[in-house]
Amino acid sequence: MNKTVLQIIRFVVLVLFQVLVINHIRLGGYVHPYIYLTFILLLPFSMPKWQLLVLGFVLGLTVDLFTGTPGLHAGATTLMAFSRPSIIKLVSGSLKFDNIQEPNLGQLDGMWFLRYVFCLVFIHHFALFFLESFSFRLIGQVLLRILLSVPVSIFLIMMILYIFKRERKRE
Amino acid sequence: MYNLRRFILKHHVIILFILLEVISILLLARSQNFHRNWMVNTTNDAVGKIYEWGSEVGNYFRLNSANKELAEENAMLRKQLSVIYDTTTCTYDISNGDTLYEYIPAQVVNNSTNQANNYIIINKGKLDGIRRDMSVISTDGIVGVVTDVSRHYASVMSLLHSKSVVGVRIKESQELASLKWETNNYRYGMVEDIPTHIVLQPGDTILTSSHSHIFPEDLLVGTIEEFYPTAVDALNKAKIRYATDFATLRHVYVINDLHKPELDSLKARLQ
Repeated sequence: MNKTVLQIIRFVVLVLFQVLVINHIRLGGYVHPYIYLTFILLLPFSMPKWQLLVLGFVLGLTVDLFTGTPGLHAGATTLMAFSRPSIIKLVSGSLKFDNIQEPNLGQLDGMWFLRYVFCLVFIHHFALFFLESFSFRLIGQVLLRILLSVPVSIFLIMMILYIFKRERKRE
Repeated sequence: MYNLRRFILKHHVIILFILLEVISILLLARSQNFHRNWMVNTTNDAVGKIYEWGSEVGNYFRLNSANKELAEENAMLRKQLSVIYDTTTCTYDISNGDTLYEYIPAQVVNNSTNQANNYIIINKGKLDGIRRDMSVISTDGIVGVVTDVSRHYASVMSLLHSKSVVGVRIKESQELASLKWETNNYRYGMVEDIPTHIVLQPGDTILTSSHSHIFPEDLLVGTIEEFYPTAVDALNKAKIRYATDFATLRHVYVINDLHKPELDSLKARLQ
């Protein structure tokens, strides 16, 4: 399948899954997992940084339209897209991916992936929950939200990545 | 000029990043206002459609409980009607003259309870006579205020919103107070500015007051869960359990206050 078409499908499916299913899960008021980030995580390594930024912004803004919070997810996802190249460098160290085009659980080490997902999800959630409160008044609540949501998001994203990995092998 | 171009080319990523973040923060800052911006308004119809499609699937599983709820409400309304129903002439005697409120039934197509500012989208809009600032109630209690209207949908600022303030009245003592949402829990709100001499018991009833000019008077808001007396000379607070269950909200009524334009123009003249 054409790479661009695959990415558009991924975008639509992830956003719909987020707003129609995940956003309606209630886990005690503090746990808000966000899985639409998987789209940014899976973009090719060679993608120009400006494209990453634009896609991050568009993805965030699309989710914002559904949640009625213009700018909130856009800001957090843009920051995440901006940090992606540095995070990849940071978690890879001397590791080189000569023949790997995009992050893929089938071709890359599981621990590498977990570190990669953790760093970016943490950056996104940190920015998101602070922007959401827009002041430091409820700092305890914000930190609790970050602490509880990050593991759940990572768990869900890793599950989705696992499914994508299986799909890749069949092609 | 050449230097500027070279500078932009060299730092285009960081410039784009800052630009996009500034746009995000501006959008966010504007959306903190009571009425939200053009972006939400223009896309509301499309978003509403997708949500409606999503909630239709879920609705099939809830038909049973929805039926029961509506039947119970029917029974209650019939009981109320019997008060003004004259059995000898078989007519309804509405002695206090004109109608004050018009009720527009609507269905919730999207609803959140876990954000810091929660909004509800309903499937009635401008074409159905919905306007900004109309109040929204459920069969159990009050729900929120209409903030944005598109052709077929409207967004409602739910009580579960950091900017939501509703004027309420304590049923037992008739004293006024205000209702806010500062907990993280969709079941509970906070009644503030309770006069110092009032002591509330768990189970006390809280109703809407006519002072807010948003909700009609005497609608059920909820019951007191816990009373927090504060230091001397400070106003007291109490935790309230909402009568409306926001998590399972399906059918709501939008209230059109027919006297509101008159009241508003009078208030405008006073200022």
